[in-house]
Amino acid sequence: MNVRFDFIMHWLWAIVWALLALSGFGMVGAKHGWLVNFNYATADFVHRLSAAVFVVLTFVSIAYEVFRNIKKDTKNLAWFVIGRSGYQLFTFITTLILIITGALIWICSEFNMSAVGFALLIHEYISYIALASVIWHIYKKCHALLSLKKPEAKLQKG
Amino acid sequence: MLQKTWVKIFIWFMAIFFFFLASGVVISVLRPGPSENEAMSFMMGMMSAMDSSMMGVAMNIEHDNALQAVIALSASIALPVMVLSVAAGIGIRLWQRRDRNV
Repeated sequence: MNVRFDFIMHWLWAIVWALLALSGFGMVGAKHGWLVNFNYATADFVHRLSAAVFVVLTFVSIAYEVFRNIKKDTKNLAWFVIGRSGYQLFTFITTLILIITGALIWICSEFNMSAVGFALLIHEYISYIALASVIWHIYKKCHALLSLKKPEAKLQKG
Repeated sequence: MLQKTWVKIFIWFMAIFFFFLASGVVISVLRPGPSENEAMSFMMGMMSAMDSSMMGVAMNIEHDNALQAVIALSASIALPVMVLSVAAGIGIRLWQRRDRNV
C-alpha cells in the first residue's frame, strides 16, 4: 500500500482539529455546554492535550515545508495542510493565530486577565471562521466523497 | 488510498462530523437562553474543571518554582526564536531568488 506523508498529515490534522473544535466550542459558554454535556473538566483536558499534539503537527509541517524549500522541491503536495497559496495558506495563517492566542490564554491566565480576554475573543472568532472554512473546504473537495468508478466498468459500458 | 473502502468510510465520517459540529454551533449561537439550569451547569462544570483538570494544574504554577523557571525561560526565548525564524525564512527566499537569477 502506497501511503503518502501529506495524506497521513492531512487526516491526523483533521482528527486533532475535530477534537479541538468539539471540546473548544463546547466551552465557549453556557449556551454551547450541551455539546460536551457540561463536562468541562474532560473538555478542558481533551482541548489542552489535543492542542499539544496540534502544535507538534504544525511544527512538523512547517519543518517539512522549509526542508522542501531548501531542497528546491516544487512537487505539488495535494493533501498537505500548509502551503504557499489558497486554502493551505489560509490554514497556515489561522493555525498560527489559534496557536499564539491559545498559548496566551494558557500562560497569561495567571497574571494578565486583559491579555486572556483579548486572546479569548480572537481565538473564538477565528475558530468560527475556521469551522466555516472547513465546511467550504469539504464542499470544494466533495469529489473525495464520491465513489471512484473503475476504468474497466467504463470500458464495458462503452 | 482513496479507493480503499475504509478510507472512504473514514472520510465520510469526518465530513459528517464537521457538518454536525457546525450545525451544533449554529444552534448554540442562535437559540434563546441560556436557561438558569444551563448557567448553573456551566458554573459547576467550570468549578469541576478547576479542581480536576489541567486547568487546576495550571492554577498551581504559583507553588512550582521549577515550572515557573521553565515558563520564564520559554517566554524570554520566544521572541528571539520568532525573529530568528522570520530572518531565516527571508534568507532562504533571497537565497533561492539569487539562485534563480543566476
